[in-house]
Amino acid sequence: MKILVIEDEPALAGSILSYFKGEGNVCEHAADFNSATGKIELYTYDCILLDLGLPGGDGLQLLSRIKEMNKKDGVLIISARHSLDDRLSGLDMGADDYLVKPFHLSELKSRVSAIVRRKNFDGGNIIIFNEVKIDVAAMKVTINEKPIVLTKKEFDLLVYFLSNKNKVVTKNAMVEHLWGDQIDLSDDFDFIYTHVKNLKKKFAEAGARDYLRSVYGIGYKFSDR
Amino acid sequence: MKLSAHYNRVNIITSMIILVITGVIYYFFIHLILTNKLDRDLAVEENEIRQYTNTFHELPLPATYLDQQVSYCPAKVDSASIRDFSYTTYYNPKEKEEEPGRMLLTTVNLKGKTILVTIIKSRVESEDLVRVILMITLAVTIVLMGTLFMINRFFLKRLWQPFYNILKRMKNFEVTRMELVGPEPSRIDEFEELNQSANAMAERVRQDYKELKSFTDNASHEMMTPLAVINSKLDSLLQTDDFTAEQGTLLEDIYHATGRLSRLHQSLLLLAKIENNLISDVQQVDLKELISQKIRQFQEFFERDGLTVEIRMEEKTTVMSRYLADIILNNLFSNAVRHNIKGGSIAVELSASRLVIANTGKALDNKTRLFDRFSKSSESEGMGLGLAITRQVCNLYAYQLDYREEAGWHYFSIIF
Repeated sequence: MKILVIEDEPALAGSILSYFKGEGNVCEHAADFNSATGKIELYTYDCILLDLGLPGGDGLQLLSRIKEMNKKDGVLIISARHSLDDRLSGLDMGADDYLVKPFHLSELKSRVSAIVRRKNFDGGNIIIFNEVKIDVAAMKVTINEKPIVLTKKEFDLLVYFLSNKNKVVTKNAMVEHLWGDQIDLSDDFDFIYTHVKNLKKKFAEAGARDYLRSVYGIGYKFSDR
Repeated sequence: MKLSAHYNRVNIITSMIILVITGVIYYFFIHLILTNKLDRDLAVEENEIRQYTNTFHELPLPATYLDQQVSYCPAKVDSASIRDFSYTTYYNPKEKEEEPGRMLLTTVNLKGKTILVTIIKSRVESEDLVRVILMITLAVTIVLMGTLFMINRFFLKRLWQPFYNILKRMKNFEVTRMELVGPEPSRIDEFEELNQSANAMAERVRQDYKELKSFTDNASHEMMTPLAVINSKLDSLLQTDDFTAEQGTLLEDIYHATGRLSRLHQSLLLLAKIENNLISDVQQVDLKELISQKIRQFQEFFERDGLTVEIRMEEKTTVMSRYLADIILNNLFSNAVRHNIKGGSIAVELSASRLVIANTGKALDNKTRLFDRFSKSSESEGMGLGLAITRQVCNLYAYQLDYREEAGWHYFSIIF
């Protein structure tokens, strides 16, 4: 994927860039309104990560510029403004998603992957990883062409893992992904353990390799290495 | 008691007492003056009779004319020098009725004999005069009373109107709405001054509030950036390989704390936003549908703790922010799960007038501070902001949020 990160906080931009690098991803960075405008006008990206509070201008203006130019780039707004109005106007103006800071990088990656998948496959939305094939739109998973039955949460988890291949995904991030950050009970990680255990079991029964590893008790890593 | 009523009462009672006293004094003085005049007339008559007797050595005719009667009779021997004024009644042949009169009993010497002379003058006229004067006084009193009453009632009411207007505005003054008390033009200096002071105070309060608010806003905003950096750096750190188990545990703790901090930060921002009424996606919310959805969402938590959920719901839609509706339901259900006992129950009851979410659980120790910020039971894992947010939302939509504990059940009800 080709990604443009428009973010003025260098430390945050650095983390995002390093997280997205690899796997054939190309990441570029713009730290202010003008350089972002220049990059958007010159190149096409699969997804643009857009911070709303930028030096030199408002991120929402940039968004309307993108839409004016009739570009098909996916736009994910990452904003410090936890404001419903911003979220709504951002989405109204054609942003694909909205993520409030602070966020987990794994969540960001999963959202970006979802946007890129939707854009590239025209709703086909299929993830293939070795013997595992996921039809995200139809919520169907096959292993070696044989369908396996997953619960909604297990399915969500699997897609989340595959969006963050070879990365350590923390339980906090998983909980927030599955239940949202509003439910104040999500400090409880037993559920994650149960869901991951079931997922592993179903993979094993279907004859898939064991891709899921627990990492220091903090989280899990989905990788074929 | 209102100032005007108080003033009215004092005013009217004082006027009444003064008028009554004046009336009485008036009456007596006029009475005295008229009686004196009558007595002088009687003395003149007496004098005439004496002169007549002295000149002609005979008594004038005992005439009865013009409300005056004169009669004679021989005096008893020892009543040598009687001269006595008194009140009496006499028969007026002209009017053919008994009339009040003033009588002078005196004696004249006629040829060595003492004759008792009785002169009676009618008091009717003076009585009438006194009565008329009394009537006028009374009428004046009544008119004065009435006028005073009317003045107090209408004029004073109008006079005090600016005061009541200012008072009303001060009562309605809410610092979060960022408005002033408002001008209240009045010709009365005191009210003008009051209005100015109230506005000056409101302005000061508003200024302080604005500063505090922008401080809070900025502080939480500025807090967010480092928080986001910490979060992302932690995520990045985790991707670098080979931590020992010990380092892993440390990382987990840091993660945990950062997560809490993020949620705390978001809750505070949310509270500030609700307080400032910055949530705008107001729409028709189908509560029954939303609650059913919430129950499905919490199903796993219910199952984990072996909670039985009793649901009794009628159709209910309300106009509010869907986002906030979601948040308060999250908070109430989270609480109902968190503060429940293993194998306990949750009861959800929705009707047109209210929503009650009840759960079994241990008795509470600080009920009064239940809805305060950062108030939580010692074993609670939450931040103690959930119910504060819930109350704030209820305040925003003028719903009443109640809590009661009964027979091991905790009832939270929202009355629409």
